[in-house]
Amino acid sequence: MTCYLYDGTFEGVLTVLALVREAGEEPNSIGTTAPAQAGLFAAIVRVETNEEVAERLLDEIGRRLSPATAAHLYHAFLSETEGVEMHLHRYLRLGWREGRRLDSLLSHESVLPVHQLARRVRHEAHRMKGFVRFRKVREGFYYAALEPDHRVLSLMAPHFADRFFDQHWVIHDVRRNLAIVHAARREGWEEVSLELTGAPVMSEREEWFQSLWRRYFDRLAIAARHNPRLQQSKVPLKYRRHLVEF
Amino acid sequence: MELEKRLVILAESAKYDVSCASSGSKRYNRDGIGNAASCGICHSWTSDGRCVSLLKVLLTNACIYDCAYCVNRRSNDVPRASLTPEEVAELTIGFYRRNYIEGLFLSTGVVHGPDQTMELLIRAARLLRETHRFNGYIHLKLVPGADPLLVEQAGRFADRVSVNIELPTRESLKLLAPDKSREAIIGPMRTASGLITRSREERKVSRKAPLFAPAGQSTQLIVGATPESDLQIIRLAEGFYNRLGMKRVYYSAFIPVAGGNRLPALPVPPLVREHRLYQADWLLRYYGFAAHEVLDDGRPDLDLAVDPKCGWALRHLDLFPVEVNRADYEVLLRVPGIGVRSAKRIVRARRQQRLSFDDLAKLGVVLKRARYFLTARGKRLDDLDMNEAVLRSRLMAPATTKKARQLSLFDGAGGDELASVLTGEL
Repeated sequence: MTCYLYDGTFEGVLTVLALVREAGEEPNSIGTTAPAQAGLFAAIVRVETNEEVAERLLDEIGRRLSPATAAHLYHAFLSETEGVEMHLHRYLRLGWREGRRLDSLLSHESVLPVHQLARRVRHEAHRMKGFVRFRKVREGFYYAALEPDHRVLSLMAPHFADRFFDQHWVIHDVRRNLAIVHAARREGWEEVSLELTGAPVMSEREEWFQSLWRRYFDRLAIAARHNPRLQQSKVPLKYRRHLVEF
Repeated sequence: MELEKRLVILAESAKYDVSCASSGSKRYNRDGIGNAASCGICHSWTSDGRCVSLLKVLLTNACIYDCAYCVNRRSNDVPRASLTPEEVAELTIGFYRRNYIEGLFLSTGVVHGPDQTMELLIRAARLLRETHRFNGYIHLKLVPGADPLLVEQAGRFADRVSVNIELPTRESLKLLAPDKSREAIIGPMRTASGLITRSREERKVSRKAPLFAPAGQSTQLIVGATPESDLQIIRLAEGFYNRLGMKRVYYSAFIPVAGGNRLPALPVPPLVREHRLYQADWLLRYYGFAAHEVLDDGRPDLDLAVDPKCGWALRHLDLFPVEVNRADYEVLLRVPGIGVRSAKRIVRARRQQRLSFDDLAKLGVVLKRARYFLTARGKRLDDLDMNEAVLRSRLMAPATTKKARQLSLFDGAGGDELASVLTGEL
């Protein structure tokens, strides 16, 4: 019985999964901290992340299972749900047996949880593409704060890097102290850790745009169709803190 | 007048145009700002549950026409305002850079006649595309009676164009919108339809051929202001889809925006009817139904108590139940409660294993209605008679007071579908 510990990165969990596969023995748990009740005889193995091993595994998954399987693994991982690593392990274990048909076993108990988590993450990432609200700060870049349930920044980055290519921008997951940063007219983006030391100072015209947007937004609803419950299902309260119009 | 005040007036005047879709176009950012995501993105939702995706605004709400249903009609006493094309372009960019919107939906009242009005709309779009190098989504209204050459220009800059048919029949149009003729509306529609088809053909040959409204065209009509039946409306929509290659027909429950003796006095807007029409519309576009299957002369109006697919199934009980492990995809689509996503999942999953009702639930198939019309591994879920009256009572929403039902209609599965309709996500 072995409890595997890793550093919380996707490469880290892939390294563990590769190791587990080689060992051929069912792990007790996989996580970032040792489980409270590891059992008297459980061995605790701290796995050093090995990017080469991780990449090789991902590559093999893409070839022998399918690229979609690799994507499901990554997306489900980003959900950061308790116990997701063991779900990934079981999914992959079944995958080596089933091969390409793995993702068609939609109701299988080893497939369903991974698919569900992955879908939830993709859904939130899509939603967040709409809910980002940039504020132009005094230093001249655009800053947006978010508090998503899942670690979705990396899924949003390509969209914004293309759309606002000519703009300096920062999208900040304030709950995880993570940010994606894009420099104007440069390809790509970077994921960095970021902690605010104070509230960002807005540029001069920023207030004006925000109040214009709020006034515009307030006039759009048609009174005879009033339906706040539908609105709430579409814009849950937890997201509203960072939306200019609420 | 200050820009803030004008924007508020013009937003107020634009909000009755239902379309908000930002989907169907894929543009990449070519050294400027913006792109268009083919799935569309909603940025917010207002307290009526409608999504905000585009900056929906009029160039001016002054209008020489006097259409009885329209808030901007000449005889209505509302404040008037206008924006210049330059102001519209700058506002769009300012909002877009902050990620408030996916793009612009620009419409207008008619001030000097169709062509001059159309030219102003085109100027705003051109400024955005050429001066601001904007690659985001633009929806432009075509003005009834506008010159075909102007329609062509509009489509070069816009992702989507639309001209509203307004009312289902020529007679109703004459009664309520005496200044607009049916021909003036259909004309630009036909022109756009022809150009969309041509552009698609040309682009198959060469990727460099110019775009023309890559997200297609749409239209809108008002429901409940005139006496047409649902059958007339659905047939009209079917014609638009089949003959003009229309992308979307929007239905707008008539809301009295200040009375007038040409209009009926409705106590509440016919929102349930509107919802049923959208469901019927979905059946035409995604479920392989023809208008005559949904309604016919003997039954010209949609049943408000059950959705149109349930209605169809109840009239064809001899076709049910179907075996979920064998029925063709097209047949599954006709099972009440099974949508496109569920049908696809079923087809995929059953290649690997024989599905039970338990499996269906795990796949996320909602069985609330489907259970009465399916067998899984030869078994039904209940012992009910395949009897219309019995099934009908099961399928109907639980009886409550009229008011409560109006509201609860938008909850649950039906509500999501409606929301998708409104948000144009699909």
